[in-house]
This record gives sequence, structure tokens and C-alpha cells, in this order.
Amino acid sequence: MPHRTYNIAMVSDFFFPQPGGVESHIYQLASKLIDRGHKVIVITHAYDDRKGVRYLTNGIKVFHVPFAVIYRSATFPTVFSFFPLFRNIIIRERIQIVHGHASLSTLCQEALLHARTMGLRTVFTDHSLFGFADAASILTNKLLKFTLSDVDHVICVSNTCKENTVLRAALDPLMVSVIPNAVVSENFKPLPRPDPNSLPFVQHPLPAHPLGPNDTLTIVVISRLFYNKGTDLLIAAIPRILENHPNTRFIIAGSGPKAIELEQMIEQNVLQDKVELLGPVRHENVRDVMVRGHVYLHPSLTEAFGTVIVEAASCGLYVVCTAVGGIPEVLPSHMTVFAKPEEDDLVAATGRAIAALRANKVRTEKFHDQVKAMYSWTNVAKRTERVYQGISGDVSEAEFYGFDVNHDPHWHATRGRNFSLIDRLKRYYGCGVWAGKLFCLCVIIDYLIFVFCEWYWPRDQIDFARDWPRKKFEGDDDD
Amino acid sequence: MAHPSNPDSSTTTDGLRRDRDGPQPGLTRAATLPAEFHSQRTARSHLAPEDAFNAVRPSRRQSGFESNGINESRPESRSRKMSSKLGSRSRSRRRKRTWKKLLWVKQSYPDNYTDQATFLENLQRNPRLQPYEFWPLVADSTVILQQVCSVIIFVVCFVGIFQERVSPVAVVGWGSFATFVGWLLWDFWVGQEDEDEVLQRRRSNRSRSIREPARRGRSIAAGTSATSSVTNLAVTERYPQGNPIALRQSHSTSAISLQSSVSQASNVGRRSSESTDMPSHRPSSPLRNGRANLRLSTVKSAILIYFTLLGLSPILKSLTRSTSSDSIWAMSFWLLAINIFFYDYSSGPVKFPASLSTNAALMASTVLASRLPSTGQVFSLTLFSIEVFGLFPVFRRYARHQSWKYHVALSILLVIGAGGGVGLIVGEEKDVAWPWRSGLLGVLVAAIIAVVAMGGCSWWLIGLQKYKNAINGPWDQARPIIISRRLWDDE
Repeated sequence: MPHRTYNIAMVSDFFFPQPGGVESHIYQLASKLIDRGHKVIVITHAYDDRKGVRYLTNGIKVFHVPFAVIYRSATFPTVFSFFPLFRNIIIRERIQIVHGHASLSTLCQEALLHARTMGLRTVFTDHSLFGFADAASILTNKLLKFTLSDVDHVICVSNTCKENTVLRAALDPLMVSVIPNAVVSENFKPLPRPDPNSLPFVQHPLPAHPLGPNDTLTIVVISRLFYNKGTDLLIAAIPRILENHPNTRFIIAGSGPKAIELEQMIEQNVLQDKVELLGPVRHENVRDVMVRGHVYLHPSLTEAFGTVIVEAASCGLYVVCTAVGGIPEVLPSHMTVFAKPEEDDLVAATGRAIAALRANKVRTEKFHDQVKAMYSWTNVAKRTERVYQGISGDVSEAEFYGFDVNHDPHWHATRGRNFSLIDRLKRYYGCGVWAGKLFCLCVIIDYLIFVFCEWYWPRDQIDFARDWPRKKFEGDDDD
Repeated sequence: MAHPSNPDSSTTTDGLRRDRDGPQPGLTRAATLPAEFHSQRTARSHLAPEDAFNAVRPSRRQSGFESNGINESRPESRSRKMSSKLGSRSRSRRRKRTWKKLLWVKQSYPDNYTDQATFLENLQRNPRLQPYEFWPLVADSTVILQQVCSVIIFVVCFVGIFQERVSPVAVVGWGSFATFVGWLLWDFWVGQEDEDEVLQRRRSNRSRSIREPARRGRSIAAGTSATSSVTNLAVTERYPQGNPIALRQSHSTSAISLQSSVSQASNVGRRSSESTDMPSHRPSSPLRNGRANLRLSTVKSAILIYFTLLGLSPILKSLTRSTSSDSIWAMSFWLLAINIFFYDYSSGPVKFPASLSTNAALMASTVLASRLPSTGQVFSLTLFSIEVFGLFPVFRRYARHQSWKYHVALSILLVIGAGGGVGLIVGEEKDVAWPWRSGLLGVLVAAIIAVVAMGGCSWWLIGLQKYKNAINGPWDQARPIIISRRLWDDE
């Protein structure tokens, strides 16, 4: 089968220059998809000094759409006002697939709705976990259900995230793929180890970890200091860990509202010489901080994937983390020590990790190559491409869903995802007693706006933009 | 989900309830599931979230990705095409591996594979559901009844004063008398409680000194810092001066006391928490002295409030002269409603009531008082409102804490008072011959309303329980368990 390429638009409120996990995910994925011969554009809102169209490395075209930002860089939800501009971009760039990221991004949700109205295939990637209890979650879940009622496929970053999304948006689990995040392992290399031949005496075998009995062991923590990152646990655990293991130091990077409590703890326990606070660290310097330590401590209370522990393992650090959210799925057990989100257990787990390192039982020098084999963006792009093939029909539905279409009477209601308005309305109507009718109204208005746009700005009067020269894709090198 | 076209009725958790057609039966204590799921499962061939909490899980039902399912009936070429899509592994190897819920493993299944055995296995539905029972619920609702009744009594008194049917001096006189009696009772109860505590403490001190005389100092320090007990808090609130027993063994508490290992801290903490107060470096005073001081200061503040109100009354009288009475009625209605809704009905440790509710009530009484024509009336009503909204709730809490009998008696008295008062106010003024007839009628009606409302609301709440559907799972934010938290908070 010839390798078909697509024109893909990634839509999210969260993109560079703002730092963060979703942002780098979009960038890396787009970059690797371009390497595979696809055309990728990114649509995001305008940042202070960035408006209009920009090109990033590898020919990623970024549209900074002028929209007001209301909260934590999410735009104001206007539902329809984005449509004419969006349609223009889509037609200009001849987009076939719209790929939205992050459930808190209103831009993404609106774009998915408009894209379906325009008859495009849509994919949504969920990066976060939500509960079901509090009011904010209920609202977000309702909105997400609205968007995802008509989406073609959903990608989640971990299996826990998939379960969460399936429940939140009432999706068919077969419509949800799990494609994890990845790390750029070249950026997270451990410190170069001394060449065994150059050592003055021959040691067989070379010790797994160059840690003598009296050497100081350093524990690194890099996290934003928020409640949901488990900073309270950290604050409670640090004095006890340092007390149990005197020859230990802490390096803590990151800032946030809990920083003051952390400083208080340090002063109260007189630990200034044992705990080093670095403050906020830029993402490109994270590796330099990580390689100063032996153990990475991650006390988070909720985490969809936990890219940072993969980065830490890639740097050759032994990881101690709380077993919450998707974290237990991320790393193999020989790289991690899991703890319950309890002070006692965290202290005990750190103790186990320190003991194992002191006993030279952990082959941390092998971690980098192992992580490199586990997570790569090339692999993520390949798996995402299969999703694109599945939804655009290049892989047959039966094969993609592993399901015999003709034998299921509910097929057209669930996964057929055809574009006819009445079928779309049926799907939206099922969202709830009141919400369903409201959503239907929104979809109908959206469709009317679309018809108006087609009449007022006819399709044939919109020019096509010239493409960045496409890369030639050689074919899969199987990893 | 299978039928997105079905409208569903729940708002929060509709993901779980979409495939359901019939009404959901009530939840039992075990939160078992209705049987209708079982019949539906066989009809569907893909997994739905309901399957997660289905008790009987058919292991490994057929799905397209199962090795022995529909796939085998397909042409061989199709599955070969599929395997070539996914990687280089041969098909025979692929089929042997089992799926693992791990991300770092190279799975031999497609990304959208849903494992029937593990998908949503950690989902919990209503994990901490405690079904209500009728009579305890009715008993608990008396607290609300008391508050509503005291608000009604206050309003009745206001109307009485406003219509000049009741002398303001009588209202405030009886109110103050009742308050004084209540205060005496309260003082008596507190004294009794303290004596009990002292006795208990002595006993536990003796037993502990026999058991471990050596580790005493250290254990107390650990206990104080690591644990906090409800009784301790209550004691310190009442006795800011600290109590002598704790002071006699005043050990310095410092953060370093955490040195004691966890097991020891928690073990000893339980024992010593009875006997030690908060780490107190406060001036000591014997128990009797403390009581006398407390009484003296209460009397002092009472006199202070009395004279302040007396001085403020002329100002309050003309405070809202420019506002029309309608606005005042509406405003005081809302303020009293706030008082009722935000009142602290919790039955936890004895503490002082919530401030928003009290403030709203006092503001309501202020604006109501400003409608009254004479300074004496204004003063009386304001003082009465302080007694009803400020002091009476404290007394009620203590009464409930002290004995259930007092609580019930107080509730009945309040219902009678409120009902009778309303009856008298509503009744004809001219009806001098039978002034108590309308009052008695009011009491009767109030009693009926109280019983019906309490019983009906409790029954209704129990009936609503079947709609409770809380979903918990690994995606929820974990609740950290931090033992030494109090160490930072206290100091």
C-alpha cells in the first residue's frame, strides 16, 4: 500500500512560547509527523509578542489566532466567533484532519466542532485526569462530552487516562487509543561515565553505581510546588528522610505557592546545608539539575503520565514516586520504587531506594538506553499516523477497530461517524436531557454559520497556501 | 457508548447510566448492581463502563481483538495486513503475548485495544456510601428545628414590640433571665466536665508512670506534636490559661522531637493525648482560680456589651430612617434566611458557631431595631437578638453535648414557644376573653408542622439516596496522609 500522507492541523490553546508538557508534546509530534511526510500546521491563540503566522523548525507552520485569554492561557469560549477564521485556515491549507489537544483548551473544543461541521476527520488527545465530584469537573466533563460526542478518535496518554476519558465522555473504549508521551532522550543523557580502560586499577565488574559508602547521595525533586504535586508530602518527608539517612542531600527545583512552606520547613529543622532550593528551572536546564543526583523523588498526587519521571530515568536516576494516576504504567519496576501517597510510605520507599543504591544493586547506568528504547517520538508519530489512517478509511474499519461492522446493529450510531447533520444531531442529543437539546441547538447554529460562510466567502475564492517542501518518507524502520 | 441517542436523566454521572432503560433500583448497603446489566451484557459485544462494576465478570468475552474470536473467521490476508501494519513481529509471536496495562512494554496489540479483564477494574462506585436510617436522621434534624424556632421566636418578639403588644422590658427581662440561668447551667456543666477530665488524667498519669517512667519526657513531646485530639482542642478553647496538670509536666516541644520513630509516636501519642494539652508555655494558674477569673471576665464583658448597646441605641434608632420599611422587611428576611442556611449544624466537638450566620442575624436585628420608635425598644430588641443568636446557640450545643434529654426538652420548648408566639401574634388582638386560644392553636399547628417536616424531609432524603452515584478511581487526586502536619501548623 502506498504511504499516504495527510494535511493535519493541531489545535490547542497551549503552545510555545509558553512552556509545558502539552506544548512540547504538540511540537514533538508535529515535527515527527513532518518527518514522516505529512504536512502539519499548528493553530493556537496569540501570545503577547506572537501574532499571525510563524514557522518553526522542520517547517511547522504556526497560526497565532487573535483571541482573548481568560484563565491560565485558555481563551474565552465564544463557540462560534472562531469559525470564519478557522474555515479560512482549513481551506487555505487544505487540511484533512483536525487534531485537538488538552480538554481545558476551548480553542481545541471549538475547532473540533467546526471541523466536524465542515466535514473533516477529527482526533482529540487528552492529557489530563479529572475527577467526577467537584463542580468544575462536572462542567468540564459536560463540555468534553459535547465535543467528543462527534469526534472520530481519541488518544489518551495512559491507560488510566483512557479509563477516565471513556467515563467522562461516555465513549466507546475501542474509539480510544493509548499512545504515551515520549522524551527526547538525546536531551536527557546521564553524565558520561569514566572509560573502564582508563581507570588506574582494573575492577571486575565495574560497580553499577559509582557511590562509595561515605559518599553523599543526592535526591532531586523537580516539580512545580503546588498542592496537587504533593509538595505537602515532600515537606513532611524531607526532615524524616534526612534524619534516617544523614549522608543525604536534597536538590529541589521549581516554584509555586508551596515554596514558602518548604522554606519554613527548612528553617525550622535547620536543614539549610542539606536542602538546596534552586527556584524555577528552564526546561532545557532540567537535565543539568537531574544529573547532579542519584534518586529522583516524585511525590505527585495526580498525574496522567508523568513525563518527568521518564526524563529522570533517562538521566540515570533511580525514581521514587507515588503510585497515583498513570504513573504505575510508565516505568518498569527495576527503575522505580513506588510509594503510597502517605508520609510514612514515602519515607520508607525513599529509604529502600537509598539502601538499594548504596548496595550497588541498581544498574542505573543502563537506564538511559532502556528508556531510549521504550519511548521515542518517532514511535508516537507512527502510532498516531495509524490513528489517522484508521479514521480516514485507509485502514478498513474492521481492521482498525478489530470489529465486524456489519454484525453490530449499533454500529452507525456509535462509530460510523458519518457527516450527515441528522446523524450528528442524534449523537449530540444523547448528551443529556437539557444539555442534549442545547448542544443540538449549538450544532445547528454552527451549521447555519457554515452555510453562510460558504455563500459569503465562496470556497473557490480562497487561495491555497504554498506548502513547505514535504519530506520524502523512506519507510518504517522498525524499532 | 452504545446508544448516544438515548436521552439520559442524570447530570453528573451519565456516562455510567446510558444504556439503562428502566428506573434504577435503590442502592443497598452493599451497593450491588441491578440484574438488568447481566442481560444487556450479552447483547453488546464491546465493553461499556457498566461492565466495570458488574459483579460477575465474564472472563474474556469475544471482541475483535481477541485471538480466538471473530478474527479467526476472517480471511487470513486481512489479519496479516493488520500485523504488518503494527510492526515487524510475526503473527505467531503476537498472539501468544498477553496484554499488560503498561506503557513501556511494546504491546502486541493495537493502541485502541481494550482489555476486558483489566479495563476499569479499579473503578469504585459509591465507595463510602453510608445509607441513612430514618430515626437517627429525624433526631439529627432537630438541630435545624431548634434554629428555625429560635429565629421565629425572635421575629415574634419583634412583631410584639413593634405592634406595642408586648413591653420591650418584659422581653429583654425574661430573655436576660433565661440567659443568666443558661449561663449558670453551662458553667456547672463545664465545671463538671473539667473535674471528670482531671480525674481521668490523674488515672492515666498513674498508669503510665508505672508502665514507662523512663521514656516519659520524650513520648509526651512526640505525642503532643504528632497527634491532636479533639478533647484537647475543646479544653484549650475553654481554658486559655492552660491547665495545671499539663503544665506540671511541661516539656519543651521542639521540632527535633520527631526523632522518635513513627510507631512509637503514634502508639504513645494515643495515650498521652489524653493527658497533655497543647504545648503550652503559658502562665499557669490553678483550676479554681481559672474558673473564677473566667466568670469575672464574663460578667465584665456582659456589662460592657450592655452599656455599649445602651449608648448605641439612639444611633441605631435613626439608622435607616431614610429607607422604606418594605426594603427593611425584605432585607431582614434574607438576612435571617442566611442565618438559617449558614448556621453550623455540625454535631462535632463543642465549639463556637459560624460567624457568617451570626453576623447576618445580628445585622437583621439591627435593621429591624432601627424601625422601632423609642430608644428603649431598640435597646431591648438588640440585646435580645444578641442573646438569641449569639449566646443561645452555644448553650444549645452544650445541652446537646451534655444529654440527649436536655436536647429533646429544649426542642419541644422551642416548638411550643414559636408556635404559641406565632398564634398569639396572628390571633385577633380584640379577643381578650380567650387570649390563649389562638396560642394553643398555634402550638398545635407548629407541632404538626414540625413532625411532618422532620419526618417528611428525612424520608425524602432517604428516598433520594438511590440517585447517589459517586465514581472513584485511580484518576482521582490522592489524599495525602501526613502525620507530622501539626508540627508546622501549631507553631
